[in-house]
Amino acid sequence: MIGLGYTLPAIISVIVVCVLEWAVLRTGLFRQPAYWISMVIVFGFQILVDGWLTKLSAPIVIYNEDHTSGIRFPWDIPVEDFLFGWALVTAVLLLWVKQRPDREGGR
Amino acid sequence: MERWQYLLILGGCLLVTLPIEIFGDGVYRQPLRLLRALTPVLIVFLVWDAIAISLDIWHYNPRYVSGINVPFMPLEELLFFVVIPLCGLLTYSAVSTTLDILRNWRHRTADRSRR
Repeated sequence: MIGLGYTLPAIISVIVVCVLEWAVLRTGLFRQPAYWISMVIVFGFQILVDGWLTKLSAPIVIYNEDHTSGIRFPWDIPVEDFLFGWALVTAVLLLWVKQRPDREGGR
Repeated sequence: MERWQYLLILGGCLLVTLPIEIFGDGVYRQPLRLLRALTPVLIVFLVWDAIAISLDIWHYNPRYVSGINVPFMPLEELLFFVVIPLCGLLTYSAVSTTLDILRNWRHRTADRSRR
C-alpha cells in the first residue's frame, strides 16, 4: 500500500500534462467548455470499460496492491486509473488542438 | 472465447465511437494530425507500461488475453493506447462541432430577431 509504483507516477503524469499545457503548448484547451463536456463523457465510458477490466471477480488487469493506494471506486476500479486515463486522453487532445486541421495543411 | 475478452472490449470501443466520425472534420479523416497527436503520447505511455509490467506493478490475466504478444506486453495493451485516445478525440470532435452549430444557430436567430 505504499503506492510508489502506481499512485505516485499517476499523480506525476497529471502534473506533467498540466505543466505541458501551461508552460509549453498554451492551447487554451482547459478554458474550452467542449473539453470539459468531453471529459465528463469520457469519464462515464471509462467507468464502464475500466470497471470491466478491473473487476475483482474476473479481472483482466491485475494490480500489485503494494503499489496502489488500495482505494477502488467505483466498483473495483483503482482510483489511480482515473489519473492515468485523464493524462493519456488530455495529452493527446492537447497535441491535437495544437495543430491545425489537415485540410489547411497541418503544421 | 474468454481469451478474446480484452480484444473484444477494445473493438467495441471503436465500433461505438465510429459513427461520430461524421461530425465536423472528423478524426480518421485527418490521419496526419492524428498521427502527430497520438505518437508522442503513445511512446511515453508504452514505456511507462513496459516498466510497470517488468516491475510487476500490474499484469494481465492470461485467461482474457489473446496470447499474441508484442515486446514487453500483450497486443491488447498496445492497442489500448491507440483505441482510448481515439475515442477521446472522436468525443471531443463531436462535442466541439455540436457546440459550434448551437452557437451559430443562436447568432442567426439573434440576428433575425433584431431585423
